[in-house]
Amino acid sequence: MSLAAEAFVSQMAAAEPWPESATLYQPLKEDQILLSDCASSLAVQAYLRMCGLPVQVVCKSNAEYMSPSGKIPFIHVGNQVVSELGPIVQFTKAKGNSLSDGLDDVQRAEMKAYMELVNNMLLTAELYIQWCDDATAAEISRPRYSSPYSWPLSNVLAYQKQWEVRRKMNAIGWGGKTLEQVYDDVTQCCQALSQRLGTQPYFFNKQPTELDALVFGHLFTILTTRLTSTELAERIKSCSNLLSFCRRIEQTYFEDKSS
Amino acid sequence: MGTVHARSLDPLPMRGPELGIHPDDIEAPEIEHEQKQEVLENKNVVVQRVHIDGLGRTKDDLLTYEIKEVFRAKNLIDVMRKSHEARQKLLRLGIFRKVEVVIDTSRGDGALPNGLDVTFEVTELRRMTGSYNTMVGNNEGSMVLGLKLPNVLGRAEKMNFQFSYGTKETSYGLSFFKPQPGNFERNITLNMYKVTGQFPWSSLRETDRGISGEMSFPLWKTSQTLKWEGVWRELGCLARTASFAVREESGHSLKSSLSHSMVIDTRNSSILPRKGGLLKIHQELAGYTGGDASFLKEDFEIQLNKTLFWDSVLSASMWGGLLLPIGDKPTSIADRFYLGGPTSIRGFSMYSLGPQSEGDYLGGEGYWAGGLHLYTPLPFRPGKGGFGDLFRTHFFLNAGNLCNLNYGEGPKAHLKKLAECIRWSYGVGVVLRLGNIARLELNYCIPMGVQSGDRICDGVQFGAGIRFL
Repeated sequence: MSLAAEAFVSQMAAAEPWPESATLYQPLKEDQILLSDCASSLAVQAYLRMCGLPVQVVCKSNAEYMSPSGKIPFIHVGNQVVSELGPIVQFTKAKGNSLSDGLDDVQRAEMKAYMELVNNMLLTAELYIQWCDDATAAEISRPRYSSPYSWPLSNVLAYQKQWEVRRKMNAIGWGGKTLEQVYDDVTQCCQALSQRLGTQPYFFNKQPTELDALVFGHLFTILTTRLTSTELAERIKSCSNLLSFCRRIEQTYFEDKSS
Repeated sequence: MGTVHARSLDPLPMRGPELGIHPDDIEAPEIEHEQKQEVLENKNVVVQRVHIDGLGRTKDDLLTYEIKEVFRAKNLIDVMRKSHEARQKLLRLGIFRKVEVVIDTSRGDGALPNGLDVTFEVTELRRMTGSYNTMVGNNEGSMVLGLKLPNVLGRAEKMNFQFSYGTKETSYGLSFFKPQPGNFERNITLNMYKVTGQFPWSSLRETDRGISGEMSFPLWKTSQTLKWEGVWRELGCLARTASFAVREESGHSLKSSLSHSMVIDTRNSSILPRKGGLLKIHQELAGYTGGDASFLKEDFEIQLNKTLFWDSVLSASMWGGLLLPIGDKPTSIADRFYLGGPTSIRGFSMYSLGPQSEGDYLGGEGYWAGGLHLYTPLPFRPGKGGFGDLFRTHFFLNAGNLCNLNYGEGPKAHLKKLAECIRWSYGVGVVLRLGNIARLELNYCIPMGVQSGDRICDGVQFGAGIRFL
């Protein structure tokens, strides 16, 4: 689709209200989903809950291939399909729901910078641990990723994915890093976030923004997912204000709705 | 006794098995008598030796099967006929460029007075032939490289490699064919391929990577094929605007299937036949040998032809098929049947009838289609006996239906469902025969029984294809 056509479609989408039947797709929760996908999916769910937009979560083994960009998660709203947090934020904005409208230009730039930091550091670190750490790849990532498929397709797809991620890591210069260096990067990232957060309830004071959703998605998933080593979670636990930040968002947006 | 060249019997063009020679295409050898030497006709002769000249890498044992009948000849006419048959058999192996037969009296030690020597002078095909094409179409340009190795191991084995490099897609195919020596119809074929198809009527893109092995053999009047195929299929949306039903089918699957097909073909030609019939039955069982897809697929095709007055031919054909999912998993969009278009039910757009979602056709689990054609020569018969004979006028009536079947309801409900809302069409057109493998049609069609959601092609429709209803 051309850019003009896409712009036209998003204009059209703006006219329609948010439907009750909106659906979020992600891989199978029990057997298939991996840390990085789970984090991205949780970030989008947190964002939509902060906006007060209802969404039904559906687990599909082929969610990755259904997504128009090949990334998890994506939402199906009306006859629109939008994937990943960034475009979803744009999409909800077109429908009149935005969390960052109250920010001034400087704050918005700062928010974008921190979001980039999370994507470049935490998400990349998650991918690195999943696919470049041999123990995690062999024990967790490959078996889970390939669980819906039968042999020999399961092996082909798992190794194909691993190769693809490793190639990407080499391209961005992470290929030569050791696990210890990656953990140190995560620590630095968490320290930066912890300093920015300080004693505030959210990154930009009283109101949550998409940055809060993104940070919550990644930190909460890392804290609650069992990996071959607990090192990654330990690095986060050293920043106590981030832990209470996660607990706050969980209580505010996830617990009262489920009860 | 003079030398008789069997080559004066009609020379055959050389063809490989893939072009599918029909027994009827080969006309019975006509014996030409040499008037001056009619005394030889009834004289008993003995074929003492058969020479084959010009062999390079072909193994002798393969050829002994093909020429052994020549030794059984009892008189000269017999020798000529048997030699001619042997020549045809040799040419059909697809490993010789040229075969000539020379029959001469025996010479040398131990030569009988009525002894004959038959010499086959053969020219082998090159060890390797290559081809190079460029193709443009479907918003895509591609370059096709082909390599053929006839007679790889010396016993008429064939190896074929094709590689297509396109601006969007790359595909390749490698096949190996081996006939049983002395029994060319019994053969095995091994294949390895990757093909990518784009199906705009379903907004679907499919990439298949697979291996297959098949075995063909004749049985009574039929030709039977048993096949195993393992395919890794990757489905995806052709565009962002694809319907969600197609999007849900995206992803990878593995199909491992056993299939059997049976063909009885008594037609005199596969394109524009004048007489004879065709029965084709194909069945496929997927899932028992592994893989994600499990279903049973049955499919048949019947065609009957009869010549009427003034060179006109009446042709009736019927297709039908059923796809039964095994287990709880629904059938995949890649396995279902599609109907409509200039090669099946004319007057409808290509594969554009039946179940659909937001304009994307999803295919059906059951279908039938029938066609009745009256082929006549062109009016006033221009170009008779030459170019004009490639053309026919035809009047047609097509009907059919495609739908999903709910398998809880039993066969009666299925039949009722297939008999409801029948799509049909009629019209007139011109057919052009392209060689013996394909045909082109230009028709004026009037579609009837159109259901909501069907895409029609009212009026002039152009079609090209290999298989026609």
